[in-house]
Amino acid sequence: MRITSANAFEASIDSLQLRQQKLSETQKQLTSGKRVLHASDDPTAAARAERALATVSRTEASQRALDASRNSMTLTESALGDANDLLQQIRETMVSAGNASYSDSERASLANKIAGLRNQLLSVANRNDGAGSYLFGGQASSQVPFVDTTSGVQYRGISGDVKVASQEALPLTVDGAGAWTQGRTGNGVFETRPVSGANSGNAWIDSGRITNPSLITGSTYTVQFSVSGGTTTYTVLQDGNVTGLAGVPYTSGKAIEIDGQSFTINGSPADGDQFETVPATPTLNVFDTLDRTIAELKTPLRSGGQITQGVQRSLRDLDQSMNSLQSLRAAVGETLNLADSAESRNADLKLYGQSERSNAEDLDMVQAISDFQNQQSGYDAALKTYSLVQKMSLFQYLNGS
Amino acid sequence: MSTSAVMSLGVRAMFADYAALQTTSNNIANANVAGYSRQQVSLETAKGQYTGAGFFGKGVNVTTVTRSYDQFLTREAANSKALAATDKARLDQLNLLEQVFPTGESGIGYAAGQFLNSMVDLASNPQDASTRQVVLSRASDLSMRFNSAAGQLDTLQAGVTSDLQNSVKSVNELAKNIANVNDKIAAVIGAGHAPNDLLDERDRLVSRLSELVQVTTLPAEDGTLAVFIAGGQRLVLGSQASALQVNPDPSDASRSTIAIVDNGIGRNLSTDLMTGGTIAGLLNFQNNDLVDARNMLGQMAAAIAGRINEQQSFGLDLRSPPGAGGALFSIGAPRALSNENNLKDSAGNFVTNVTLTTTDPTQLRASDYSLQADPLSPGNYTLTRLSDGTVTTIASGDVVDGMRIDISPAAAADDRFLLQPVGRAANGISRVIDDPRGLAAASPVTATVGASNTGTATVGSLRVTSSSIDPSLTATVTFNSSTGNYDWQLVDASNNLVSNGSSTWVPGQPISINGFDLTLNGVPANGDVFTVAKTLYPASNNGNALAMAAMRDETLVGRTLNSSGQLSGGNTITDAYAAAMADVGVRVQSAESTATTSAAVAAQTEQQRAGQAGVNLDEEAAHLIQFQQAYQAAAKVLQVAQSIFDTLLQTAAG
Repeated sequence: MRITSANAFEASIDSLQLRQQKLSETQKQLTSGKRVLHASDDPTAAARAERALATVSRTEASQRALDASRNSMTLTESALGDANDLLQQIRETMVSAGNASYSDSERASLANKIAGLRNQLLSVANRNDGAGSYLFGGQASSQVPFVDTTSGVQYRGISGDVKVASQEALPLTVDGAGAWTQGRTGNGVFETRPVSGANSGNAWIDSGRITNPSLITGSTYTVQFSVSGGTTTYTVLQDGNVTGLAGVPYTSGKAIEIDGQSFTINGSPADGDQFETVPATPTLNVFDTLDRTIAELKTPLRSGGQITQGVQRSLRDLDQSMNSLQSLRAAVGETLNLADSAESRNADLKLYGQSERSNAEDLDMVQAISDFQNQQSGYDAALKTYSLVQKMSLFQYLNGS
Repeated sequence: MSTSAVMSLGVRAMFADYAALQTTSNNIANANVAGYSRQQVSLETAKGQYTGAGFFGKGVNVTTVTRSYDQFLTREAANSKALAATDKARLDQLNLLEQVFPTGESGIGYAAGQFLNSMVDLASNPQDASTRQVVLSRASDLSMRFNSAAGQLDTLQAGVTSDLQNSVKSVNELAKNIANVNDKIAAVIGAGHAPNDLLDERDRLVSRLSELVQVTTLPAEDGTLAVFIAGGQRLVLGSQASALQVNPDPSDASRSTIAIVDNGIGRNLSTDLMTGGTIAGLLNFQNNDLVDARNMLGQMAAAIAGRINEQQSFGLDLRSPPGAGGALFSIGAPRALSNENNLKDSAGNFVTNVTLTTTDPTQLRASDYSLQADPLSPGNYTLTRLSDGTVTTIASGDVVDGMRIDISPAAAADDRFLLQPVGRAANGISRVIDDPRGLAAASPVTATVGASNTGTATVGSLRVTSSSIDPSLTATVTFNSSTGNYDWQLVDASNNLVSNGSSTWVPGQPISINGFDLTLNGVPANGDVFTVAKTLYPASNNGNALAMAAMRDETLVGRTLNSSGQLSGGNTITDAYAAAMADVGVRVQSAESTATTSAAVAAQTEQQRAGQAGVNLDEEAAHLIQFQQAYQAAAKVLQVAQSIFDTLLQTAAG
């Protein structure tokens, strides 16, 4: 095969340029540390790196959402702690108000103390996160949730909660209605109380307890006392109908049991005194309890039985409210735990995304350096052979003939 | 027998050897000229003279100077050069196209992801003005990236047009030169000797022309070469040359096509017939790769903008009073282009106009469509999706692939239309809300759980699914059994019953009433009540922001309607960008390997042609020695003839 001189030069130069181009590409890869600079370097790896980048950005957004929820819940948890402290103080005051040796003016000063604590409790319930969002507002967190009206403190928020945009169910607000204004009255199943207008104030009824939950009927039971000839007897009516307990002799402090309920009446009931138990409803408002307590303590000239009954009722309702707030605090604590484990999952996902991206597009330095050296020595060899071969020509040997 | 015989033999030998030396020197001088075919002197023995003692040779004649030329190898070299030029032109343009779809943080997919991620922050702080401002800035960043990418595509198109114009100018120059050379060759060929240099010149011109556009050549009897392009169009015939020009494509005026000028009128050449050369590579890139890239970009822009706008309309913004959110983005409208040759009225306007309206942006395809009247069923039209060639028959007003096509009045049989539903979407996308209060983060309705519910059901999610929702109506869902049967009723603001009904709740399936979907977690008991009422405090509600953040996982690009009427398939926005970027990457990769292969083939065929026709300096050096010796020998013959003559003279003088 003939070799043309001109063509031989061109072919050699083309080959040298090809080697030089490959060398400069490897150099670019080494300088940037990336194997995939353009999608055409490795299209599937580029697409994988793109998806991994999207994952990493999402985990950063999720982390921000998580932090927002955690801030809110931390503030809520500490607010509930403060509320518990205030209610503890109120409870102690109430217990001391049951002291029979106190006079009306002393009880009135206790009432003032409770009034101050009650206002502090209201401001705790209306606490916000410093950015205009009320912690207990539920789905209406931009409005003050508890409003002090002439008919008591009412909940103006919307029940439910606002969640952050995350796969975990992390809330930003808490439903205040359930704990503060919708506790269960009485002892949770039934409420004991004197029938108004049929109470002489010489006897009082305690909160009662459940002896057999399967016998609870949900009816209203009325205990009617009749005193005749020095003997006090009582009759229990169920929804107005006579039951098996009729004309039972009464002993102060002994339990009266009917249909799984058991309660005790103390003191000396007058003739015609009535007490009743009604099923519990979710209407227990802690502020109503406190307002009622303050009003009672300020009322002068009450009988010993009335004072005891009032203190009993208030303590029972206060304990119920404290329980509700305590279980809400436990739930909030749980969401904080959830936020912690979500954070560690998020961090893992971010690490996964980053390593996936790095695997797809980063350069294997060792491999690249070895390739570069190969190409370098190849280029060197090509240059040397070019210089040797192109020097040779017949004209060199034809001198002077 | 005469002394002059030896002398004339010597003279003729010297002349022949001198001619050979001259030709060899010419070869050496032109060794590095591209396209030069080495020339050789062809010598022949002169006829012998008859004498009584036998035939005596009369010496050597120079018949002609020939050039080393193989028609087949030359043609092969020109053709493979044409193919190599096509692939290289397309590769160069594709390398530029690849920069429109960068990887990583500078890409559009990243910007779209960041925009939707900012919705997460909006959901955490719906009433915070600075969070809303961040969402608006990210939206603006996204639309500007789309604009810049679309602008780069427009620049590439302009570049293609200008490259075509330059190439066409060169083609015209070369054609004229070939015609001139044809003329000169025809004038001298009658003299009987081949005009080697002119022939070389013509071959050189044809080779350069092949790099621009692939040609077929046909030698004529008068020595001229006829040059044809594009499957039979005459470019050069004899000493006449036609000219090419660049015209706007009749179906889409922004694209260019090549026309051949015939009697002053340009006739468009079909791009299928132009198979090689830079011009073919540029046309292929313009009509396939550039169109596909533009459509992929537009599909993403239309899908995300359309879906965000729809979700905005489902939510409440922070105006006073709050209203349904307005569109956040405006996009370039879909357009239908009438072919230049369609029927026009007397004023020069098209008789038939086609209008496109987008009905579902998530079903738009990344493709242009061609529309023409169906010859087999009048009143219907044939719609061809150009990306995959699917053909459907439609009537005016039909909805196909997320767009409604209206044709009025009915088109003539020869009318052709090019439909571009997403072609300009990325050029025209821009953010149109500047007030942060305009973002609709709140849901118009809020769900609450009844206070005395005894079951474990809570509200999982509440999504608005249609803009037909009437937020002033309150919906109450009451469960009347423990197996999930419920009654629902809708009352208006004055508590009048609007409508009611019953249904059964299936765990995991939403309850759909009045244009919203309510999903419950847990198990509702008999008597449980759920209420969905108007949102009273939009500043604290983040329902719509949650829905917009959920779009990160929604397959909102390129969904298809399957046979049972369900939407399926499609990509999320970040996956769609990754797919588009990878698609362009694959094109570049395959173009690179094709270009490498065709360049290698071109080099190989050129080497073969040169191997046959080129100059090897060592060979010429050997020839120089050879003919120099022969010349010296011939000179010696003359010297001997002269001394013989002298001897004769001396003898005769005696």
